[in-house]
Amino acid sequence: MPSEKTEIRNHIRRLRFEHGEMTQDDLAKQAGVTRHTIMALEAGKYFPSLLLAFRIARTFGVGVDQVFVYVEVSEPAP
Amino acid sequence: MTDSEKCAVWTLGVVALTVIAYFTFVKLLGSGPASQSVFALLALTAVPATSRRHWKGIGFDERERQISGKALLAGFRALWLVFIGLVMTIGFVKGWDATLSLPMWMLSATVWWSAMLLLAVQSVTTLVLYRRGSHA
Repeated sequence: MPSEKTEIRNHIRRLRFEHGEMTQDDLAKQAGVTRHTIMALEAGKYFPSLLLAFRIARTFGVGVDQVFVYVEVSEPAP
Repeated sequence: MTDSEKCAVWTLGVVALTVIAYFTFVKLLGSGPASQSVFALLALTAVPATSRRHWKGIGFDERERQISGKALLAGFRALWLVFIGLVMTIGFVKGWDATLSLPMWMLSATVWWSAMLLLAVQSVTTLVLYRRGSHA
């Protein structure tokens, strides 16, 4: 029986490029975090708090659901 | 490398230096009070607090705070496990009614070693979490 794993994916990298190739540093400053945190978010190594998710979405002028996507990944049974 | 990772590497270096210095002193002077002086080297762990970022007043963001909290918790968990293990081992080996007579320096050395264990585990956990991701 396949098991289901949930994760949060994001479109931050794409949105940055759609917003005049915004740098990670610029986004970090506007969201109030370090550039390393933006890097970790883009790499899927960190799931943000709701507050940070809203801050990032507001920076891009879009809704949270357009930046972050909740997905269920089916893993094949061993 | 983030400031927290640099701090963790520095702390690990200081702990390693202290351990090496301690065993060198023990070999030269014996494991008495004189060898305890090397634990003063642990004061060097305070050096990263004087970093440029600290003076600029830049605080931790949410991810850094989360990793810092998890690392500290891992350090205390390790300390607690070692403490329980040591107490149980001494109890079973010496007997639960045995009386131990220890020199005072050994008591202070125990505190210093505990601090080093806490710092080492905290630093390693910090480095691991920054590489692997804090939600892992």
